[in-house]
Amino acid sequence: MKGDTTGKIVAISGMSITKTSIILALVLITASWGFILTSEGASLSEYFSAGNLYHTKKFLASMFGLDGGKPAFFSAESWSNALKLTYETLKMSVMAIGFTGIGMLLTVIPASRSAADGSITLRSTWYGWLVFGLIRLLYIFSRAVPELVWAMIIIFVFKPGILPGAVALALHNFGILGKLCAEVVEDLDWQPIRALRSSGAGTVQILTYGILPAVTPKFITFLLYRWEVIIRTTIVVGFVGAGGLGQQFRLSMSWFQYTEITLLLICYFLLVVGSDMVSGLLRRITQ
Amino acid sequence: MRGKVTEIVKPAVQLRNVSKSFGGNVALSPLSLTIKRGETVALVGPSGSGKTTLLNIMATIIKPDRGEVIIDGVPSQNLKPGRELSRKVGIIHQQLDLVDQLPVIHNVLAGRLGEWGICRSLLSLMIPQDKELAFKALNRVGLIDKSHQRTSRLSGGEQQRVALARLLVQRPQAVLADEPVSSLDPARAEDLLAMLTDLVREENQTLIASLHAVKYARRYFSRIVALRQGRVFFDRPVSDVSDDDLARLYDLKEDADAQALL
Amino acid sequence: MHRPFYETHNRAILSVLLVTAFIWSLFSVEWGGNLFHDGGIVTILQIVKAMFNPDLSPRLLKLALVSSWRTLAYAVAGMTLAVIIAFLLGTLASGILVEGRWSRRFSAGLFRALLGFMRAVHELVWAWLFVAAAGLSPFAAIFALAIPYGGTLGRILADIINDVPPEPVRALRAAGAGRVQVLFYGYLPMAMADMVSYVMYRFECAIRSAAIMSFVGLGGLGYQIQISLADLKYNEVWTFIFFLIGLVVLVDLWSMRLRRGLVS
Ligand SMILES: Nc1ncnc2c1ncn2[C@@H]1O[C@H](COP(=O)(O)OP(=O)(O)OP(=O)(O)O)[C@@H](O)[C@H]1O
Ligand SMILES: [Mg+2]
Repeated sequence: MKGDTTGKIVAISGMSITKTSIILALVLITASWGFILTSEGASLSEYFSAGNLYHTKKFLASMFGLDGGKPAFFSAESWSNALKLTYETLKMSVMAIGFTGIGMLLTVIPASRSAADGSITLRSTWYGWLVFGLIRLLYIFSRAVPELVWAMIIIFVFKPGILPGAVALALHNFGILGKLCAEVVEDLDWQPIRALRSSGAGTVQILTYGILPAVTPKFITFLLYRWEVIIRTTIVVGFVGAGGLGQQFRLSMSWFQYTEITLLLICYFLLVVGSDMVSGLLRRITQ
Repeated sequence: MRGKVTEIVKPAVQLRNVSKSFGGNVALSPLSLTIKRGETVALVGPSGSGKTTLLNIMATIIKPDRGEVIIDGVPSQNLKPGRELSRKVGIIHQQLDLVDQLPVIHNVLAGRLGEWGICRSLLSLMIPQDKELAFKALNRVGLIDKSHQRTSRLSGGEQQRVALARLLVQRPQAVLADEPVSSLDPARAEDLLAMLTDLVREENQTLIASLHAVKYARRYFSRIVALRQGRVFFDRPVSDVSDDDLARLYDLKEDADAQALL
Repeated sequence: MHRPFYETHNRAILSVLLVTAFIWSLFSVEWGGNLFHDGGIVTILQIVKAMFNPDLSPRLLKLALVSSWRTLAYAVAGMTLAVIIAFLLGTLASGILVEGRWSRRFSAGLFRALLGFMRAVHELVWAWLFVAAAGLSPFAAIFALAIPYGGTLGRILADIINDVPPEPVRALRAAGAGRVQVLFYGYLPMAMADMVSYVMYRFECAIRSAAIMSFVGLGGLGYQIQISLADLKYNEVWTFIFFLIGLVVLVDLWSMRLRRGLVS
C-alpha cells in the first residue's frame, strides 16, 4: 500500500505542473458542477420555468415603474437624495483608498525582500527578515478576508456611517495594494541604487533619491486601479450598514421600493463610469 | 500539348506599373516584372531597396498604391483570400512568423488550413489530421524527430525548416521567400537553398527569393532581379550577370568589399 | 541620473491632488467621541482575543470543511461560466472575427461596451437582482458571479489578443486560414499563457466572492461567518475565517507554481 502511494506521488511530481493543473481543474469543475446539480438541487429547467419568467417580468415592470404610482426616477426630491448619497459614497471611496495608501506606505519597504536582504538598509538582519515575514502574513490575512466580512465585524464597533465602510474597504485593500507595491520595490533596477550607495548615500538618501522616484508612477497606477475596484465595492459594504448608496439600496429592497432601486443603480452606474474615466485620465498624466 | 503551351504563356506572377510608398517614403517606384512558371528568381539589392515590400505585394499581404498584380492570370483583387490564394502563392518571411506556442506539427499542418473546414481544423488540434503529409514534409527537412516539440524550443535554423515544411504541405504554385537563409551558418544556408530549389523544380513550382548573399543567387537560381531604391536595376539570367553589375548595384568602391560579397 | 524637472513635476501635482482629495473626504466625518457604539471598544477586544482562540471542536471543523467545499464549488462553477462568456465575448470584442476596418471597430466597440457594463456592477448587486427577479436558486449565485467575472476576463482576453504580434497571424492567413482558424491556430495559442495566469488570479477573487454570496442566502463560509457573528460566537467566526484564508492561500500557491511553469 505504502509503496503504491509513494509511486503515485513520484508520478505526479514527475508530471509537469501544466498537466497536473489541467487534471486538477477538470476534477474540480466536474466535482463542483456535479455537487451543485445534485446535492444542491439546482435545476436549470426549473430556473427558466414559466413561473419564474412571470416573476421576472413583474419584477422588471416594477423596477421601471410600470405598475402604477410615480417612479422615483421622475421625482426631483428622490434625485437630490440619491445624488447626495452618491456624493457620500464617493467620499467613502476616497477615504478608503487614502487609508489603504497610508497603510501601504508605512509597510511597503520592510515588506519587500530587498529590504530584508540588505539592498536598502545596507545590511541583512534576522529581525529584518522577521518583520518582512510578519508584514507579508498580515497582507495575506488582510486580503483573504472579503470587504464585506470586514464590514460586518467593523460595524460592531463603529456607528453606521461612511467611516466604518471606508475602514472595512481599507482593511481588505491594504493587503492587495501592499503585496502589489512590495513587488514593485523588489523588481526595481538595483544598479543605480548600488551606484548611489557606493557614492556614500545613507538609507534615507537611498529611499528618497533612489527608490521613491522609481516607484512613484507604478504606485500611483496601482492606487488608482484599486480605487476603481473600491468604487464598485462601496455599494456592497453599504449593505451591512456602512452608509452611502448601498445602505439605501438595502432599505429600499426591504420596502419593495423598486423604482427607488432603479434610481440608485443609475447613480451607482454613473459613479462607476465616471470614476473609471477620471482614473484613466489621471493615469495618463503620470505616464 | 496545346494545354502545356497556354500554361507557359500564362505567367506565374506579373506586375504592371506597381508602386508603393509608406507615408512620404517611396518603397517601390512604378515597377513592372513578369515571372514565368517554373523560374527560380533571386531578388537582390541593398537594404531598404524594397525587396520585402515587393514580395509582400506579390503575396497580396499588402496592397500596392497603384498598378496591377496578376497572379496565374487572375488579377489579385479577384483572388479570394483563403483556399484559392493559398494554392497560388505561399510565403516564408524574414522573421519566420511561426506560432511559437504550438507544437511543430501544428505549425506545419497550418499549411492545410485552406483545405480544411473549421471543424476539421479544430479536431486536428487534438488528433492531428493528414498526419502522413506532415511527417513526409518534416522528414524531407530532417525534423521528423522534433514533430511534437514546442516550436519556440527549436533553433533559428530549425524553425526556418519548419516554415519550409509548412510550404511543402501547402504546395502553392509560387513560393515566395524573404531572406530564407539570413539566420543560418553558411553550410546550413547552402543545404536549405539546395533543398528549396530542388523541391521547387520537382514540383514545377515557381520560386522567388530575396537574398543578401549574391553568391548563393548565382549558384542556385536561374534569374536575378536586382532592385535599387524601389526600381529594377537590372534583370537578367544568371549567366549574364557580371561582377561589375553587382559592384554598381551595391556601390562597392573597394576591391576588398567586392571580394567579401561575391 | 538627471531627471528633467517637468517630468517629476506632473507627478508631484498629482500626488498633492490625491492627498487633498483624501483630506477633503476626512471632513465629512464628524470626528469626536460619537463614532463608536457604547461598548464597541470592549467588543473589538473580545473579537481580537477570540482570534487567538478559534473554536477547533470536531463538530465545527467538520462544518467548516463542508462550508469550504461549498464555497469552492460555487467559485469553480461561476468561473467555468465566466471563462466561457469571456471566450465568446472577448474574441468578439477584439474585433478579429470580422473583416474590414469599420465593421471591426463596430464589433469591438459594441462588445467592449457590453463587457464594461457587465463588470461595472458588483457581483452581489447582480445576485440581488437575480434573487429578486427569479427567486433563490444556486443559479442566481452562479450567474451573478459569472457576469462581472466574464466581463473582466473578456476585456483582458480582448486586450491580449489585440497585443499579439501580427506576423504569425498574417503568415497563417497567407497559408489559407480563415478568421476562425486563425483564432484557434494563432491568437489563442499565443494568448494562452497570459490568460491562464489571469484566470488563476481571478479564481482567487472568485472564492471570496462566492463566500459573500451568503448575503443572498447561499450557504458556505460567508453564511457561517454571518450566523456566528449574529450569535456573537467570535471563536467560531475566526475558525471560518481561517478556513477562508486557507482556501485563498492554497489557490494562490497553485497559481504561483503554475505561472512559474508557464513562464519556463
Ligand atoms: N511598414 C512600413 N512602414 C513604413 N515604411 C516602410 C514599411 N515597410 C517598409 N518601409 C520602407 O520601405 C522601404 C523598403 O523597405 P523593404 O523592407 O521592402 O526593404 P528590403 O529591401 O526588404 O530591405 P532589407 O534588405 O533591409 O530587408 C524602406 O525605406 C523602408 O523603410
Ligand atoms: Mg526585407
